[in-house]
Amino acid sequence: MSTEAAFLDIRRVDFGYGGEPVLRGINWRLPRGQIHCLVGRSGCGKTSLLKLAAGLLAPDAGDIRLGGQPLAGPSGAIGFMFQSPVLLEWLSVLDNVLLPVSLKRSPTAEDRSEARALLERLGLEALTTRRPSQLSGGQQARAALARALVLRPPLLLLDEPFAALDAMTREELQDEMLALCARQDTSALFVTHDIAEAIYLGDKVALIERGRIVDEIDVNLPRPRRQALRDEPAFTALSRRLRIAMDAVR
Amino acid sequence: MRAKLGSLLLLVVLIACWEAACRWLAISVLILPPPSAVVTVLASEVMSGRLWPHLATTGAEMALGLAAGTVLGLGGGIFLAEWGALRRLLQPYILASQLVPKLALGPLFIIWFGFGLTPAIVITALICFFPLLENTLTGLTHIDPAKRELFRMLGATRLQTLLRLKLPSALPVMLAGFRVAVVLALVGAVVGEFVGGRLGLGASIIAAQSTMDTPLIFALFAVITALGLVVYQAASLIERVLLARYPKG
Repeated sequence: MSTEAAFLDIRRVDFGYGGEPVLRGINWRLPRGQIHCLVGRSGCGKTSLLKLAAGLLAPDAGDIRLGGQPLAGPSGAIGFMFQSPVLLEWLSVLDNVLLPVSLKRSPTAEDRSEARALLERLGLEALTTRRPSQLSGGQQARAALARALVLRPPLLLLDEPFAALDAMTREELQDEMLALCARQDTSALFVTHDIAEAIYLGDKVALIERGRIVDEIDVNLPRPRRQALRDEPAFTALSRRLRIAMDAVR
Repeated sequence: MRAKLGSLLLLVVLIACWEAACRWLAISVLILPPPSAVVTVLASEVMSGRLWPHLATTGAEMALGLAAGTVLGLGGGIFLAEWGALRRLLQPYILASQLVPKLALGPLFIIWFGFGLTPAIVITALICFFPLLENTLTGLTHIDPAKRELFRMLGATRLQTLLRLKLPSALPVMLAGFRVAVVLALVGAVVGEFVGGRLGLGASIIAAQSTMDTPLIFALFAVITALGLVVYQAASLIERVLLARYPKG
């Protein structure tokens, strides 16, 4: 266990769906500013764990704390990115990014410039008035990332957000996400089934199998991460270690 | 554009065939008047000003019936979509209200509301509320689950979810229902006048029938069709304006 103060603290959490246990005895601590990845096969319970952390689901047993406080439903302190971009097709890109703000209050000029700055950093500054349907898949994912970060949440939860993208775009988005998280001092819990993605993004990787965390891997690779890192022996070794762990629980 | 031109050309050809058939086969004007006779009658109705009060009456019945039906259909659809228990309770009754032949209600409405505009307005409203209710209900209950989750995640209230997610998502489906309702409103108004009207295009058809004025009946058909085309185009225009921000298709 980490000695640092946990920002997101999941303790002895059980969760079931319709009588079927989905997650059992989950303990996990995410310190402030770190990025942790949850890896596992489809149906292992990783998405459920993310939704529990989001407050979208309530645990059957155990408790989840965020910044020392018990988690009580979804809140603005958490940004969420879904498997698909989930943009509202009748709003412009800028209004989509401002949605978390506009549901709380009327967006101010400051909010707008914040959103524009985020979009600029993601290379979408020329597309702010476009509709989502006029954007490529990568641009839609960037808009969704900007929306998740516009309220500067201390915690970002991501559910395989880049899985549908081509390899090049996915790598670009990984780097953009890492840069924005570092800049805003955002902690993140990132669900993926991609071994290389987990190692590249994470400070720590949890392997989930049949509702339990069966392995934890510390990723002591330097930050900021660069794509060239993927060719280094340390990266390859960690990937192999995770691959072997995944194969072992099959 | 080419397709439109083709349609127009077909109309000209059909009317020419009709005219020719009437002349060569010497069909009685009482059975099938030639287009030239219909146009003559139509022109005299327009020139003499006899047509306008009828057109205005039918138009008013349509507009008021459509307005009432829209309020009922939209409001009812929203209520039923938001309260599932209410929906399950009322669904059989709403279906039953559509299975009763509305024309058969005409005589009853005359007893209730007297002669004049009201029975036709009520029939129109009853006919056109259903597609709106049905489409509003369908639209509001088939929202992308991921978007609902997004709104939950963002801590949106129920009212915010309705106004900012459900209604905008359902708008294309609701407007398709409105387009159907507009067409049905014309049917409702004309049919309502068959039963209890003294004024209006439908009432005029009944009057023309009693004097065996077949050319006038055809002239009124033409007016009703033109009115239908105009309101349908208006509804399509409203749809295009409101959906300008949505992706095509």
